[in-house]
Amino acid sequence: MKKILMILGNVLIVTVILIFVSVYIDAEQKRILASQTESFESMTVAMENVTTNYLVGEQQVCNTWANYINSRNMTAEEAIGFVRDSITSAEIMAHILVSDGQKVSGLSTKARPQNPDDYSVSYENVSLYSQGFDELLREEATVNVTRIYTNPINAIQSIAFCNPITLKDAKSGAALPAVLLRVIPVSSFEKKWAFPTEEYKNAEIALIDSAGDYIIKGHSFKNSNFFEFFQSYNSPSSSVMEELRGNIVGNPGVVEIKDSTGKQSLVAHARVSSTDDWIILSMIPMTELGHIETNWTLIGIVTAGLLIILTFNLFLLLSFNRQLKVAVTAADSANQAKTDFLSTMSHDIRTPMNAIIGLTTITGKKIDDPDIVRENLRKINLAGNHLLTLINDILDISKVESGKLNLNPVNFSIVECAENLVNISQPMVKEKNIDFNFRVSRFEHEYLHADQLRLNQIFINILSNAIKYTEPGGQVNVEMKEESASSDRTIRLTYIVSDTGMGMTPEFMARMYQPFSRQTDSRVNTIQGTGLGLAITKQMVEMMNGSIDCESEVGKGTTFTITLELPIADRQMDDIKLPAMKVLLADDDPVIRETAGETLHSLGIEADLVQSGAQALDRVSSQHDYKIVILDWKMPDMDGIEAARRIREIVGEGVPILLISAYDRTDIEEAATKAGVNGFITKPLFRSTLYDKLSEVIGNESTRTDQEDDADIAGVRILVAEDNDINWEIISMMLQMHGVEAERAENGKIAVDRIADSKEGEFNLVFMDIQMPVMNGIEATKRIRSLSKPWQSGIPIIAMTADAFSENVSECLAAGMNGHIAKPVDMKLVIKEIKKIKEERL
Amino acid sequence: MIGKRTSCILLVVLLVLSLCLVACSKKETAKTQESAAGYVPKLDPNTSCSITVAGHYSNFEALEAEFNRFSQYYPNVKMTYIYMDGYSKSGSRILSTALAGSEAPDIFFTYPYMYDWVDGKEISAASENLADPALGLDLSCIRPALLSKDQSGNILSIPVYTTTYGMLVNEAIFEKEKIAVPKSYSELVSACEALKKAGYDNPIMCYSKGSDLLYPLFYPYFCAQIKGNEKALEDLNGMKPGAGEYMRSAMELTADFIGRGFINLQECNKLANNYEAVILRFFEGDVPMMLASGNTVSGTEKREAKSEAFTAHPFRYSFHPVPSTDEGGYFINTISVGFGVNKNSKNLAMANEFMRFLVNTQELNLMAMAKRMVTPCVEMSLDSVYAPFQSVGGERSINLSDLGLEDKASSQVSKAGWQVAAGNMTVDEVVAAYGSIQ
Repeated sequence: MKKILMILGNVLIVTVILIFVSVYIDAEQKRILASQTESFESMTVAMENVTTNYLVGEQQVCNTWANYINSRNMTAEEAIGFVRDSITSAEIMAHILVSDGQKVSGLSTKARPQNPDDYSVSYENVSLYSQGFDELLREEATVNVTRIYTNPINAIQSIAFCNPITLKDAKSGAALPAVLLRVIPVSSFEKKWAFPTEEYKNAEIALIDSAGDYIIKGHSFKNSNFFEFFQSYNSPSSSVMEELRGNIVGNPGVVEIKDSTGKQSLVAHARVSSTDDWIILSMIPMTELGHIETNWTLIGIVTAGLLIILTFNLFLLLSFNRQLKVAVTAADSANQAKTDFLSTMSHDIRTPMNAIIGLTTITGKKIDDPDIVRENLRKINLAGNHLLTLINDILDISKVESGKLNLNPVNFSIVECAENLVNISQPMVKEKNIDFNFRVSRFEHEYLHADQLRLNQIFINILSNAIKYTEPGGQVNVEMKEESASSDRTIRLTYIVSDTGMGMTPEFMARMYQPFSRQTDSRVNTIQGTGLGLAITKQMVEMMNGSIDCESEVGKGTTFTITLELPIADRQMDDIKLPAMKVLLADDDPVIRETAGETLHSLGIEADLVQSGAQALDRVSSQHDYKIVILDWKMPDMDGIEAARRIREIVGEGVPILLISAYDRTDIEEAATKAGVNGFITKPLFRSTLYDKLSEVIGNESTRTDQEDDADIAGVRILVAEDNDINWEIISMMLQMHGVEAERAENGKIAVDRIADSKEGEFNLVFMDIQMPVMNGIEATKRIRSLSKPWQSGIPIIAMTADAFSENVSECLAAGMNGHIAKPVDMKLVIKEIKKIKEERL
Repeated sequence: MIGKRTSCILLVVLLVLSLCLVACSKKETAKTQESAAGYVPKLDPNTSCSITVAGHYSNFEALEAEFNRFSQYYPNVKMTYIYMDGYSKSGSRILSTALAGSEAPDIFFTYPYMYDWVDGKEISAASENLADPALGLDLSCIRPALLSKDQSGNILSIPVYTTTYGMLVNEAIFEKEKIAVPKSYSELVSACEALKKAGYDNPIMCYSKGSDLLYPLFYPYFCAQIKGNEKALEDLNGMKPGAGEYMRSAMELTADFIGRGFINLQECNKLANNYEAVILRFFEGDVPMMLASGNTVSGTEKREAKSEAFTAHPFRYSFHPVPSTDEGGYFINTISVGFGVNKNSKNLAMANEFMRFLVNTQELNLMAMAKRMVTPCVEMSLDSVYAPFQSVGGERSINLSDLGLEDKASSQVSKAGWQVAAGNMTVDEVVAAYGSIQ
């Protein structure tokens, strides 16, 4: 509506402008026309004077001849001879005519072209007179000139000035009335008889008598009579004709007529004073006097131009509006995205935080049980790592949306990844009392080379969704399996998460990968979420050249299948072997039984697989060479604890019994221990899980743990610029654990002063926090770099800060730092950096 | 969405309208070009020159209209028509003089008989052969019989107007008196009688001077009698004794009609000429029928306004074949005016270009209708006044050029008719005097 009003408004303005232009042009044209008409009329009156002078002049020549002839009593031959001698112009000739009552003939000053000796001339076929020869003998007129006629001698259109003369009859000597004609070609006359100004170069003139018959006429005057000409091309009524006649023969003035081409023309008229009833007419097309008609071409072009400008501006305006709308929408979206983002992050952060806080609480209560403490700390560490991953995600979320997310592939253990996944999800699983099954099958290659953080994020997103949207008491099954891929260097990792949750509608599934998409459902609305998870997941999966598929049915559940082809890491667990021994494993789940059997076999262990506690009892009763017995906790006929108690009775204390349990075994741990269980194995039974646990119970040293070599960095002295007491405590204790001496500087200034006062070799390295009171880390680094002593200014400085954005890293390096370690501090990374610095110093 | 669409439509419509304004300004030119469709100029459109057409018409608006159309292609060519005194007079030598002079016309009027004038050879010598294929004239549009060739096979003249003979009929009188316009001789007689009774003293009139008295009645009839009769033509053209018998029936028809007293010679003698005087007399409104030629009819339209009587009481009129037999009348067709080109013209190429522009069905028909003359084209398009001639069958149409009657024989017949109609000679006398009738 606003657009229409805007267009109509513009069109109205254009119309008003055009009307104004049109009216103005019209008024201006009228003014110019009136002025030029007046001027043209004046010129016509002036032309009348010119004409009169010309006619009188020519007539006077003729009069002179006539007077001479009359005074000499000449014969026709003598007279024509006199005139012939008097004529100086080759164009002009003279005729002397005599009437015998019937024919008018006489002599010419020039002979006929066809016969040079024939000077006779006959006017028999020239109708110059209607009432008789006497018409040419008038004496009263000042000027006596004929109309245009065809000169019988040369057939040239001519006019003739007439004078009555009296000749002497050559035979009788009697007086003979005759007429002397001074014959002038019209072409010659026209050259002299033209409007004197360039302004009216296309004006033409005519002389008419009062009846309208042309005496002389210009090219544009048609017909033989002016009134007939007017009638032929103007179709006037009789009253108009009469009015025209009255005007023409009246006082000087102007009339408008159409010429023979239909052009509107102006005819100015004035009576010729030297004649009785002659009128001089001047005709000029109106267009020569200015634009008498509205110039539609001009107006059309102006209109088109204005409309083009209008259209152009309109589209420009609409384009700007559209861009503004887009910008506003983008701003709104950004705001919304910010809110949604915070909400999403809150959700994603709370999940591992829940694990950390929950486990911390449990640990506090079980502080006397070192195993529980150790296990919980391990889990807290895992959750913390995930939390760190999430924080990294926060840093990268903008990259996800802008499509600039980069993958950072590292070697990682898919087992740890799965464990992490299970650990993180367990609190929610337990809280909602969900039947959670995590199956891993056929995993030949534990170590893969991919972006572990993104992969974790993918797995967690899908799994957490499944748990979130599954009603309490429902079931969530996770299956992770390795399949052969197109290349020997890669595996096809398939991750299937199926739930018995609320499912999704086809409409929602069509847009579920769009950011902030959430299904409109009263049940969904009660569940925290932003709708970013799937969008991020899909983008990450696609970045890894994987695929994500989904099948869902409302009320029945959803199954997500993610397939990724991932490179195999160089290092594998294939060379990890346990001493050859015989193990009994009892589990009612055939899949676990089969996969566990294969895994144990790959570790060099001969495994007897039974499907119940009773069968396990039978086996240990009949065979006494089992080094370890592994029992599933939940078996139909006899649970793992009961089976363990009985087996313990049979095998005694010498054979370790391990219980396969779920994530949280708190409730059964005491009973299991009493029953003689030596340890617990958490599902899923990864190769590494089994290896570690079996190694532990048989006393074998794990070869998998990367032990930091404290000896390499022991004795290193580091100045730690850290304003936060806790952070200082953490880093100092961690460094002490590795034999590194640390000294604290509470802010940048102190750090600078301390370095400035230091002796050569007193400090090997500076860990520099960035945001500190008094002087920040950047400024402090710059000051240190500007110190005069080389061992001071050249000391290695590593940023140790929570400012973890890439631009922060760049800023640190630009200030002269040698490296960047993001908080929370990864001790491995710290050691690595210290080692690097030490090596460089060597 | 609707707003956007409406806006777009509104803008497009306004844009189109404004563009139409621009286009409209060019409309006149386009229309003019339409009228000359098919004509493609051959010369440089910027050619600047003057072309003069000379003739005996004191006015020639129809030709000037052609000038205007031609000027759309050659705006810098100044086309002028000039009236020449004594042009159509055989002894004036004005055309040959003009053609030999310094201001010779480029194009000039021709008549079939002018090449027999005293200066006919000079005119022929100065005339261009218009049959020359190089000129590109479309002669096929003209009825072949109208294209006469000289002894060398050259065509020196292109007919632009043909004429016929008939009678102007005041339809208002016939309607008022409830009399049908006569289609046969007996109906003509009956109509005249009825009109006489109704108080019309002059039910039929005609120009009586020269040899024109009753010419439109008897001459077409005579031509029909000898049409295709080679012997008769040979005898008549040869002025052989006894050839007068071939015109006996035509003379008897003349005598019969004049004897019935429908022609008031005294009144007819008042007509000063066979053109304007005849037309203005007819426009007086009290003459039911006026014998006339097509040349006379050509002046009717322009003189309607000249006639005070007609202006005051206009009436519908038409031109009919004179019903000289009970089967009806004849449509005699003969060249009225042709155009020749001065082969010594200073602007011969442009003169030929104008002829190329003019000689086509469309332009010639336009010019004929504008002048109320009969077109020379194969595809005839006649003015509405000539409508009755459209219904004349082909067998009753006679082209005088086809007939083969020579001018001197034709002159004898017309003189004979006048002598009989004027009561100066009897039928037997004119038959016997054929070859020497004055």
